[in-house]
Amino acid sequence: MNARANKNHLTSIEPAYYEAVTEAIRKEAVKILKEETVVGVVGYLPGRRKGTATPALVTSVEEAEKLIFSPACVNNLSVYLTKAKKGVLKQGKVGIVAKGCDMRALAGLMTESQLQREDLFIIGVVCPGVYGFGVERTGTLTEANIARKCRECTVHMPEGADVAAGTHAELADLTPEEAEEMARIEAMPQAERWAFWKEHFSRCIRCMACRQVCPFCYCEQCLCDKNRPQAVESSPRPAGNMAWHLVRAMHLAGRCGGCAECERVCPMDIPLNLLNRRMAKELKELYDFEAGLAPVEKGPLNQYKEDDDQSFIK
Amino acid sequence: MPDFEPKIVAFVCTWCTYAGADLAGTSRMQYPPNVRVLKFPCTGRIDPVFILRAFQKGADGVLVSGCHPGDCHYMAGNFHARRRFAAFRALLDFVGVDLNRLQFSWVSAAEGGKWVEVVTELTERVRTMGPMPEFKELEHEELWSTFAGAAGGKSAVLNSPELKEAYDSIG
Repeated sequence: MNARANKNHLTSIEPAYYEAVTEAIRKEAVKILKEETVVGVVGYLPGRRKGTATPALVTSVEEAEKLIFSPACVNNLSVYLTKAKKGVLKQGKVGIVAKGCDMRALAGLMTESQLQREDLFIIGVVCPGVYGFGVERTGTLTEANIARKCRECTVHMPEGADVAAGTHAELADLTPEEAEEMARIEAMPQAERWAFWKEHFSRCIRCMACRQVCPFCYCEQCLCDKNRPQAVESSPRPAGNMAWHLVRAMHLAGRCGGCAECERVCPMDIPLNLLNRRMAKELKELYDFEAGLAPVEKGPLNQYKEDDDQSFIK
Repeated sequence: MPDFEPKIVAFVCTWCTYAGADLAGTSRMQYPPNVRVLKFPCTGRIDPVFILRAFQKGADGVLVSGCHPGDCHYMAGNFHARRRFAAFRALLDFVGVDLNRLQFSWVSAAEGGKWVEVVTELTERVRTMGPMPEFKELEHEELWSTFAGAAGGKSAVLNSPELKEAYDSIG
């Protein structure tokens, strides 16, 4: 909270800031690999094209010296622990580079017993924001190229990380585009809301990128892949699309950390994070739950109180 | 809407509402025959996807009913269901589904009268609202409908002249 009060009013984040963070990450990654605290570090390496970054699992000191952090480091790496590189956790403690939003995902996964805190060494990044999609990647982060989710970020400081890389920096006076869009949709008449989502969902090609990239979609078999009985039609037709997106939003309700990776990877530009945001808002209003940086005992839909609101039940 | 008979699907728990509906029957109470009752072990077993599926397959209204809080045969199934459906209602509202078509209720095994009341009220409400077209229309649409229905101005985004030309050239 103190950090918030003394935030300097910046209009751009210069490459120097990211270089400083990069230095801190490298130093820490090299140290923990040398000391053999961890078997590997999940972080970002430079991409093949200039101004890009690619997620990687580094296991040697030489590789760790190449780790970077830049506004192109958009990925939520926690997905590598539950899905892509699941096996690595069995070999020992793993280091992970995490932005604030990634740490919320890690906390959520710990809540659900998918990860143990003692198996992780979290290199928290004091993240001022990352690039949005289709923007000019100049190396400097400004209001023009910051991601939509970062405009309303509340977790610039990775509290609870083992080490924090970077000092505090965030852009000032960003318009909350996503909140405005959500308010706009909520204010629409019901038929227009249906038309809005129907148009968006009808474009869905069911590539399942939103599912694959989500750290919380770790079910070995997804309900939506089952066909005996089939709950959700699997072909990309409007009926199945609507059902899939509703089921997805429902299954993430009370769990989603808000990293908006689903929206980022969507090739058809469906505003998926709006659904996640709407559910988060509802759970905040009803049960005072917010996805945080620390694990909790149970998510809001896995617990109950005897006096929960039941005004909608006859 | 003359001659419209709404289709109502009721998801009920076996311990309370199903027994309540049974009591209504054995007591020879009258209630609309529009309701199709599906028995589940507990309201906690009723997945939101069932409700979606009911709407997709032609239901005009859905009723979910179970034991009063504290009476659950499995201790807490209805408490969990209560939270889940509160969230699900918000989601449906956000995507533009009329929540008047979806009713939740607690009906105990002794409340045959309440069952009659709940079913009658929902049926009559849905009758005045008319059929639910939204999900049924989706069932009959293809991904390409947005192109083919361009004349109807369905989609602004996928409706560029270039795409239309490409679509028409396919034949």
